[in-house]
Amino acid sequence: MTGGASIVAERLSKTYRVKVREPGLAGAFRALFRPRYREVHAVEDVSFRIEPGEVVGFLGPNGAGKTTTIKILTGLLYPTGGRAEVAGFDPWRGGAPFKRRIALVLGNKQQLIWDLPPEETLLLNRAIYGLSDAEYRRNREELVDSLGIAGVLDKPVRQLSQGERMRCELAAALLHRPELLFLDEPTLGLDLGAQEAIRAFVREYNRRHGATVLLTSHYMADVTALAPRVLIINRGRLLYDGGLTELADRIAPVKRLELVLEREVDRADLERFGAVTVLEDHKATIEVPRRDVARASARLLAALPVADLSITDPPIEEVIARAFAGEATKGVDAAERAGDVGDAGGARGAGVPEGAPSPTAAAPPRKEAE
Amino acid sequence: MERWVGRPAGDAGADRRQSGDGAPTPTPAPARPARPEGAGWPARLRRALGVLRAFWAANLAEELEYRANFLASLFATIFWLGMAVLTAAVFFRQTEELGGWGFWEVVALLGVFNAIGGIVDAVLRPNIGRIVDLVRRGTLDLILSKPVDAQFHVSFRRLVVWRLADVAFGLALSVFALTRIDRAPGVDAVVAFLLTLAAAFAIVYALWLGLMSFAFWFVDVENLGILFDALYEAGRFPVSAYPAPIRFVLVYLVPIAWITTVPAATLTGRGGWATSLAAAFVAVAALVLSRLLWRAALRRYTSAGG
Ligand SMILES: Nc1ncnc2c1ncn2[C@@H]1O[C@H](COP(=O)(O)OP(=O)(O)OP(=O)(O)O)[C@@H](O)[C@H]1O
Ligand SMILES: [Mg+2]
Repeated sequence: MTGGASIVAERLSKTYRVKVREPGLAGAFRALFRPRYREVHAVEDVSFRIEPGEVVGFLGPNGAGKTTTIKILTGLLYPTGGRAEVAGFDPWRGGAPFKRRIALVLGNKQQLIWDLPPEETLLLNRAIYGLSDAEYRRNREELVDSLGIAGVLDKPVRQLSQGERMRCELAAALLHRPELLFLDEPTLGLDLGAQEAIRAFVREYNRRHGATVLLTSHYMADVTALAPRVLIINRGRLLYDGGLTELADRIAPVKRLELVLEREVDRADLERFGAVTVLEDHKATIEVPRRDVARASARLLAALPVADLSITDPPIEEVIARAFAGEATKGVDAAERAGDVGDAGGARGAGVPEGAPSPTAAAPPRKEAE
Repeated sequence: MERWVGRPAGDAGADRRQSGDGAPTPTPAPARPARPEGAGWPARLRRALGVLRAFWAANLAEELEYRANFLASLFATIFWLGMAVLTAAVFFRQTEELGGWGFWEVVALLGVFNAIGGIVDAVLRPNIGRIVDLVRRGTLDLILSKPVDAQFHVSFRRLVVWRLADVAFGLALSVFALTRIDRAPGVDAVVAFLLTLAAAFAIVYALWLGLMSFAFWFVDVENLGILFDALYEAGRFPVSAYPAPIRFVLVYLVPIAWITTVPAATLTGRGGWATSLAAAFVAVAALVLSRLLWRAALRRYTSAGG
């Protein structure tokens, strides 16, 4: 059924039951004797599969359910519904043999021993994972090289910079050479250089060991640089699963014509060619449907005093922001409804005509029942 | 409303996989996991000891960063023991016995009290006492992702080695008290004492684990260690000194009696083998119970019911 996939999530759901805290002393007393609970549907009916060796970006706004999904997949949380299979194991029951094959890195939590040099944590993990001397030396050397941490291994962790610390965290987490990496915001709070170092490392590790990587990040650069495929989740529901370029095609099947004009022109004149997004004295940006680009630019050049024209794609950040807002479902609903929802390998919606009617509400409001 | 899913049959995965340059490709996962490795318990014990050694090696290094603690700790121990013995001495000026125990017998008990207190401070408080902290910082998530039993990990990760001085001084005081009562214990009494002492360690451990497991239901509970300290104070005197209802509580409900009175009684020749065996039984029962409570707590943490 799972056919050798690394990660299989089948209709995963997770509902947290949260105690409702009422403000004030009276409320606190009432809560003591008659606590009230509210349900938070953190993950709802999420299905996907990831093949061995894939690097997949997991995107979604704050509170979308990314960390919750990762915790279910690593066996830290028991799902309310659905099924997960990771490296052939049920994460919840896999025990030590399962845990030896995965690594979990949480950007905002640390395993390094604060007062000691990172080296000590490596030694500790060597015992925890029961590595032989040879394995330890080999893996340690490889990680120290590719993370460039030789110079900081003997400094107390509390004296390290954030970037150095995260690189050491990765070394500690990957010391046992896991085949599956769950990286939850590994670049959190790092500067651009440090982010790039982490990205280069993850790319290299994936290439060298064929490891499967599921990565969340709020930095688009992480995702565009590493993951050809993304999962987009919002309010606990999976909105999109597929390639980044296809996502751009789907959500913003437009090109941008950036114009520099010789003199100011009326907005109305520009709007004949496409949607005007920017108009500042001599500069203008027009979005036109992708397939019309050539024709539109030719007409534009003929009709207006254009000094310069360049054609660009909308930035991926914008595309993703629009996907978060729910536009990813645009034009796909009809096709989905016709097909089998559970069939993850089915239609990607590639044949869906552009401009199909968009649903009124992209994502349903989160159900919060008492 | 459905999702927009629908990924084409795995392609990206296939072309990301690199088989060139002799890089090791991961072995495909077995469909059905084999039996956990190290299934035999000797192998597991050996591994556990290896991990324990690594824990404490790291910890010793940590503690050495704070060497000054050692002297402070040593002075505290000596001061505390001196005060305890003096208090008992003052008390015994008024009376010949306390719950049927003579002065030196009570001093032997104080030694045991101090030794167990040392274990609490050296191992339990810095580990189990910080579970709430681990939960709050999310470190527990990382611990749970490791192939080591989480209870073992949170119980023994740290060792405040200086506090072991309390154990040494406490036991030394007990032995000194013994010499004063002229009741040199035979080999069998020593064995029985060691058995009850081990049982006492196990029982305090279980008490702590049990108390801290409750923290998972009431995460706001800041410091259950204080609750333990209050209970443990009762162990400073032989249980026979307490009125019957309290004695009942200390023996059967909160097993404080088994922690100090029983080892001291065994050492001074008051307890028989039956008592020692009962202590061992109580210890095993307490360990099992606390393990169950811990499992329930973890199930709650991971929301697997409970
Ligand atoms: N332990 C918990 N108890 C109750 N509710 C929780 C718990 N953990 C998460 N939630 C809720 O579940 C939802 C999903 O949270 P989750 O941490 O999975 O989001 P996320 O996608 O990782 O967000 P972020 O990008 O901010 O890390 C949120 O509404 C959050 O408030
Ligand atoms: Mg998160």
